[in-house]
Amino acid sequence: METNSIYRLLSSVLEILKMMVEAGAEIYRVEESANHIFSAYGYKNVDVYATTSNIIISIEAKDSTIKSHTKRIKKISTDIEKIDRLNDLVRDISQNRPDFSYIEKEIEKIKQTPKFSTVVNIIFYGVIAGAFYLFFGGRSIVEFIVSTAIGLVTGVINVFFEKLDFNKVLGKFVQSFMASLLAVALKKIGIVSHTEYIIIGNIMTLIPGIGLTNSLRDLFVGDNISGVLRLIEAALSALAIACGYVAVLAVFGGVL
Amino acid sequence: MEMSTIIIQIISSFFGTLGFGFLFNIRGKKLIYAAVGGMLSWGLFLALGLVFESEALRYFLVSLCSTAYAEILARILKTPATTFSIITLIPLVPGGALYHTATFAMNGNLEEFIAKFVYTISLALALSLGIVVMTAIFRYYNKLKKS
Repeated sequence: METNSIYRLLSSVLEILKMMVEAGAEIYRVEESANHIFSAYGYKNVDVYATTSNIIISIEAKDSTIKSHTKRIKKISTDIEKIDRLNDLVRDISQNRPDFSYIEKEIEKIKQTPKFSTVVNIIFYGVIAGAFYLFFGGRSIVEFIVSTAIGLVTGVINVFFEKLDFNKVLGKFVQSFMASLLAVALKKIGIVSHTEYIIIGNIMTLIPGIGLTNSLRDLFVGDNISGVLRLIEAALSALAIACGYVAVLAVFGGVL
Repeated sequence: MEMSTIIIQIISSFFGTLGFGFLFNIRGKKLIYAAVGGMLSWGLFLALGLVFESEALRYFLVSLCSTAYAEILARILKTPATTFSIITLIPLVPGGALYHTATFAMNGNLEEFIAKFVYTISLALALSLGIVVMTAIFRYYNKLKKS
């Protein structure tokens, strides 16, 4: 009986942690959550080791046997609403110690967390590119519209890549390349006279700001492995973005 | 800096942050709080410019305040601080600096490239250091209160 229940608890907790990491939660929050839940159910010897690529939990059952389970994590994409709901669930579990079927049901519900539709996502790529065109100093209405339109294109490309599960870093390169290419091409035709702010506005939609800050935060609190993993990903993304833009410059020469 | 530039920057930082709120799946009125946070961050950055010249220092100070905003709001709204802690700094993400770094690299302008590169990194470091310091303060305060 106990074996059955501890496995159910273990796999539920692991599923919760996996979803947390995938939605972009900090590592210490993930590990703390597991400790809270297990201690609520009276398990004392618990070791949780989470990184951005896998999670291991090892726990001493009440008959003194060791149970352990692990999960691999492949894809991280920021989903604040999901983190929010997972956090509520963790708090609920550690305070009320509900039965396992309730936890499993709640996990299934969280898996169905609503997301904004692809159209909304694409529109806001445009909004970001337009807003940051103005933010960095662009002042022409035509260029503002162009920047927004290129943002929409970048958003469409992003939707495709997400469907294909395309390599993230390579995806950033392609997006940055396309955005810069469009901007430079429109300048060649004579529709816009400067490409600088258009390109910067579009770079802002791609830049791994959240990855970088998360990585440094993990490093500063001592989760070095995750910190380094995230740092490398952020650095590669930034490099890919820069290369995409530089590649266009190299092909078209110093037209800027 | 001209008044019109300040107004445009503050309004556009609101919409830029709001856009990221949608991409990160923030919902309901939390979206507005996040976007207002982004706007406040940039406003504070501009205001601090009257006192301090160093941009890295201003980045650090803004990051401290914006993280405090996130932590306090998170407690009021009973949501994890992650909801607001990074998104409110979106206007400070050094996208322009990255662009210029790449431009200098492309033109083979080694000296300016290195200077800009170091500058970009220092901004990023200042941002995260601010987040870390403020997060730590709130965490240890909580622990002290519990014990």
